Amino acid sequence: MPIIIEKLTHTYMPNTISRHIAVDSVDLTINEGEFFGIIGHTGSGKSTLIQHLNGLIQPTSGRVIVDGYDMSDKKQRVKGRALVGMVFQYPDYQLFDSTVLDDVAFGPKNMGLSVEEAKTRAEEAMRTVGLDPEQFAEKSPFELSGGEKRRAALAGIIAMRPKYLVLDEPMAGLDPSGRRGVLETISALRKELGCTVIMVSHSMEDVARSAERIAVMNDSKLYMTGTPDEIFSKTKELIELGLDAPQTARLAQLLRERGVPVPEDIYTNERFTEWFRGRMSNA
Amino acid sequence: MIRIDNIEYSYDDAAKKALDGVSLTIGEGEFVAIVGHNGSGKSTLAKMLNALLVPDSGSVSVFGMDTKDEEKTLDIRKKVGIVFQNPDNQIVTTVVEEDVGFGPENLGVPTEEILERVHAALEAVDMLAFRKSAPHMLSGGQKQRVAIAGVLAIRPDVLVFDEATAMLDPLGRRAIIDIAKKLNKTDGKTVVMITQYMEEATVADRVVVMNGGKIAFEGTPAEVFRRGDELRALRLDVPTMVELRDDLAKEGLINACDALSVEDMAEEICRSLSKN
Repeated sequence: MPIIIEKLTHTYMPNTISRHIAVDSVDLTINEGEFFGIIGHTGSGKSTLIQHLNGLIQPTSGRVIVDGYDMSDKKQRVKGRALVGMVFQYPDYQLFDSTVLDDVAFGPKNMGLSVEEAKTRAEEAMRTVGLDPEQFAEKSPFELSGGEKRRAALAGIIAMRPKYLVLDEPMAGLDPSGRRGVLETISALRKELGCTVIMVSHSMEDVARSAERIAVMNDSKLYMTGTPDEIFSKTKELIELGLDAPQTARLAQLLRERGVPVPEDIYTNERFTEWFRGRMSNA
Repeated sequence: MIRIDNIEYSYDDAAKKALDGVSLTIGEGEFVAIVGHNGSGKSTLAKMLNALLVPDSGSVSVFGMDTKDEEKTLDIRKKVGIVFQNPDNQIVTTVVEEDVGFGPENLGVPTEEILERVHAALEAVDMLAFRKSAPHMLSGGQKQRVAIAGVLAIRPDVLVFDEATAMLDPLGRRAIIDIAKKLNKTDGKTVVMITQYMEEATVADRVVVMNGGKIAFEGTPAEVFRRGDELRALRLDVPTMVELRDDLAKEGLINACDALSVEDMAEEICRSLSKN
């Protein structure tokens, strides 16, 4: 079932002078099994928006339905929340146990699995994210490098086998190979578990490569939604919004400004090369 | 001005050395980028530059002062300031201008001069309008600019950015890079930029590539980004435009060149089209 967000508004510190509308009447449906990207500059409301998806915070008005459960209802929220795994931006805030294995097994244990089952699931999850249990199980989470911590935090969430995986900047702070690794892990997980992935990211390149549909947040509002083709063909608009566009899209835009008619749907190196090859042989 | 001579360093119980024989000289007014995968030793190296860490063997000399000499620690930290990754861990007070003044105040700078320094530092990072704001109400990029101002208020000669852009959005990142460039070009500050983003390394005078606690190789951005395969083997990458440049040059669609940026590539593409 989809996640349905209806007329969602969230106001921080209502009835004070510091009142701030972080999310302003957003309507959005995320389909089951979809890889959904959310982009927007800092302060555009994307983090506030996704915190509603597991009922961490409640709407000021409007509602969120996850897998048929209305997240404003206390009883239904418990059921809905069990289906949603959230991975946050700073893994340090998410790791707390004395060993990596205990940390990763915490979620499944909390779901009521036996200690043995939880351990098996934790080891599986560690393998999936590329942390060999032999090597990492007994380490303290605080001995891990930035990239390993990120993987451990991700393993802790996927060990619970969420139906909806929500990731807030999962690649921030990772080296290029780590970024590719986490992105590949997420795509593989989605194929294996069939889960829905909702990813907030600042990296236009990463979103362009993996998302099937994208939402653009701006000034607390949903500015537009569309496929990567639809979104990244609006390079000029994205830059005006204070967002970035993939480098290749910026190159295409710059060439257009110089009078070279580069088609609107070119925003990856592969497509650019293909177009340029054609252009050079036809001329 | 900073001379690192064959240093080694291990964290308490780690089997592997975090730094394993690193030698590097950073000249006055230089802009040096240090890249390397997670765990390659680049952040450890950064902490050596102002005596937050001292080497197990070898030496680090900052303006002629040995970082192992504890009597010199404060003087070294006045010369070399570091901006870290997470701005929340660097902000200590509840008002922006107090935060920026915290460093010089601790150094015993007279009040009049503190005010002057705070003003200049906030101006340099374009945050003067926020001087009375509460840091927690600012965005990540704005907080990071306040953190830079806090370092600038100490008036160091060398600024080290230790993955200071890692948690920021693209605009926030670009603002920090522009500030670093300006401090280097206009104010003559020496800048050491540690980063995971290859695009950011292209603005440096020199790029140092770290791997396994050692310097793998170094050179100008043009030289370093000609070695794409070696970089990928070290879990790194080349900027997106360099990847495109190499793909197009391989097919003979553009001339072999050292284009690094979107602007460079636009030039090359136009050149090929006009010849065709």
